[in-house]
Amino acid sequence: MDEFYTKLAEILEVDEVREDSQLESFPAWDSLGVLAAIAMIDSSYGVNLTSTELTGVKTVGEFARLVESRRKA
Amino acid sequence: MNFTFRDKRIAGILTVLPEHEQKFADDMRNFDFPKARSLKLKQVMGYDRHRLVSAGTCASDLAVFGLRHLFEKGLLTPDGLDAMIVVTQSPDFFMPPTSNVIQGELGLKQDLFCMDITQGCAGFVVGLIQAFLMLEQESVSRVALVNVDILSRKVSTKDRNSYPLIGDAASITIVERGTDPSPIYANLKMDGTRREALMIPAGGFRLPSSPETAVPEDVGDGNFRAKDNLRMDGTAVFNFVQVEVPPMIDELLAFAAVPIDQVDWFLFHQPNKFMLQKLADKMKVPHAKMPSNVVEKFGNASGVTIPTAITLNLGERLQSESFQVCLAGFGVGLTWASMLMKMGSMRFCGMVDYPEQGDR
Repeated sequence: MDEFYTKLAEILEVDEVREDSQLESFPAWDSLGVLAAIAMIDSSYGVNLTSTELTGVKTVGEFARLVESRRKA
Repeated sequence: MNFTFRDKRIAGILTVLPEHEQKFADDMRNFDFPKARSLKLKQVMGYDRHRLVSAGTCASDLAVFGLRHLFEKGLLTPDGLDAMIVVTQSPDFFMPPTSNVIQGELGLKQDLFCMDITQGCAGFVVGLIQAFLMLEQESVSRVALVNVDILSRKVSTKDRNSYPLIGDAASITIVERGTDPSPIYANLKMDGTRREALMIPAGGFRLPSSPETAVPEDVGDGNFRAKDNLRMDGTAVFNFVQVEVPPMIDELLAFAAVPIDQVDWFLFHQPNKFMLQKLADKMKVPHAKMPSNVVEKFGNASGVTIPTAITLNLGERLQSESFQVCLAGFGVGLTWASMLMKMGSMRFCGMVDYPEQGDR
């Protein structure tokens, strides 16, 4: 999921994100950032998540695992 | 559900745009949001400027102006109309229907089937389906399909989710019997369980407007809106479109037995540039075949965006040439509908500005 981290960093407008990075700590993690992330995982991984499903997700690592689990499902 | 229609055509389209143009740069001042993020929003979504009516302007005003324009230019005769379908979510009144208001204002004949349809972003395709059904009757040889919405009057200026993209407009599409041998294909789906993704919560009988429903509430992320205002769940709508629209188009083309590369233009509803480009990518359609320039120039006027995309991008050409076009609308309901048809040799296909009548 290194590619996922790179793509998410781009959306969050930072050089890199770590597994334990808190999503809420990024100023770019607003409604536009969430939409951009949802669009990215749709086009790159074929996974459709709603913003409601993302409300419980706190860290970048949790986000990555959610995408990964939905990919297998 | 699938539909097939024969011997029908679109004879002309006129888009009516309020002349007042508002810039996104000015909207930004109302948002409780860092400027850099507003500029990012502008860049990603393709927001730039939008056309808005003044406070007193109603749906019928835009429609009457457009129809009168066609009568005066000799492009349409009042007595030649047998039906008028008005598709709107912003009627002049709960009762009577806006179609009757327009009929009365223009003094149209009594032998006129007036019908209002409450539909949003799928309203152009739904309206065409209804017009084609009416044309099956011998007594109906020409239908005026009026799509009109003035929803800017229902959107909170402090709601960054909806305000920058909203636009007001009307279109008049003349639908007649035709002689082109190729049938018109359409399909349509609806899902009322997801009806709350796009709604105006207050103002109907379920929750009448009151001083309480007019109070702007902090809905998070720096946005404020009242229950009287339009509410859109942006990510839910985005997902709905990406999940439902591509298979709908696949089914339409399979039903019509037309390969995707034989479609000249994909004239889709215009929610914003971002959503359309993602849709084009998913469908593997070149961006050049799917115009996405309506929101940046005029804003999103729900059911009017497809006719606006047509008159803006193909207005001149459709009067002399003919194209295989695929239309698709998706939104309120939820509703998603598409249509494959030959479009061309129109008597008119253009746009006019509606002059402001009063103070803004």
